[in-house]
Amino acid sequence: MTDNPSTIPPIVRLSYRKGDLIVKEGDYGISIYKILEGKAMVLKESDGREIPLATLTTGDIFGERTFLNRASETRSASVRALENMTVEVWHTARLSREYNEMPPIVKYITDQILARSIRMNNLIVKLVTQEQRAELAEKKADPLISQRRFHRKKVDIRCQYRPFGASDRFHLSGRIKDISLAGLGMEVMRRDASGVSHVKGDCFVVNIVLPNKQSLELEAEVVSVRKGEIAGELVLGMSISEISPKEKKHLGFFLMP
Amino acid sequence: MEIETLIIAYLVDEETYEPGEIVIEEGTQGDWVYIVLEGRVKVTKRTSVGMLTIDILRQGAIFGEMALFGKALEARSASVIAADGPARVGVLDTRQLIDDYESLSPRIRLLIKALIMRLKESNEKAASLVVAASEKKRNR
Repeated sequence: MTDNPSTIPPIVRLSYRKGDLIVKEGDYGISIYKILEGKAMVLKESDGREIPLATLTTGDIFGERTFLNRASETRSASVRALENMTVEVWHTARLSREYNEMPPIVKYITDQILARSIRMNNLIVKLVTQEQRAELAEKKADPLISQRRFHRKKVDIRCQYRPFGASDRFHLSGRIKDISLAGLGMEVMRRDASGVSHVKGDCFVVNIVLPNKQSLELEAEVVSVRKGEIAGELVLGMSISEISPKEKKHLGFFLMP
Repeated sequence: MEIETLIIAYLVDEETYEPGEIVIEEGTQGDWVYIVLEGRVKVTKRTSVGMLTIDILRQGAIFGEMALFGKALEARSASVIAADGPARVGVLDTRQLIDDYESLSPRIRLLIKALIMRLKESNEKAASLVVAASEKKRNR
């Protein structure tokens, strides 16, 4: 560039702390920011929730929308610092001149990219909001799921299990110590299960008869293994990966306090 | 300046596509920039649940500009396909556009690049949200 240095407004550097709101959606402002250090999140608010649109990092620019979009004077989205940050704030006075001197076709194209970008962000907000509403509706429709998903009930139930894929004539014995709609804790004796692997990632089919005589069959994956109090005893933390909707309902009823 | 006059100076060719015919294919290399002269084209992305239409462009809309003004040598980020009726598109003079773009100050170029990157990211995000929603629906 051949600008006379005296006509260039000084570039301002600003620092922000992690969590700071650098730009607020709906605020007036035309400055453009360039990230010198740190990370930030572009987000829009909808239904009182923050919807992330993009993550920005060193070298990225933000705030350019309000400058480029002559139709709007307010910020189209917020930007929040994800880390401690240093940004360069550009004076838009000179940029305005440069922008106005752009070849008309480039301006025409830029305006289109801008319009498409705004349309896309609105679509993202719509999609996320729709999804959140659907999830909420689903939870309301099935109170068992919302209330009982993470409620772990302490139990002591004998059960039978077998490695996933093994014949159903193959039985190992275990004891369920706690159970929820999402997972269960099971004690097994190592000597009863010789030759069968019990490590993280293993999948088992577990057959349980609940105290109310309701029987369940579910698939669960081992997510943690620790030694039990007695020698040779293992305590498996398992995550339920497959259970029929009907059996899930039975389990849900059983879990009710 | 009237946009027609503006565009005419840049037109090097005109092409007509039948409905469903591909103008730009996602993943391929290319730096032609087009304008819709007549009809409509749809912008689609390949996803795990099939082809997803993310936008529909009408007369006057430019497409293919991301390859030119964005990161050089990057593959096309989406397909553009003639929509309902035959679509007539104009091919713009790439050389002239590049010259115009390079006449811009580095900061303005950085702004345009930022805008394009953000649009690409938004396109990807919108597509992945639609995919996630339809996969969830399938599991319900």
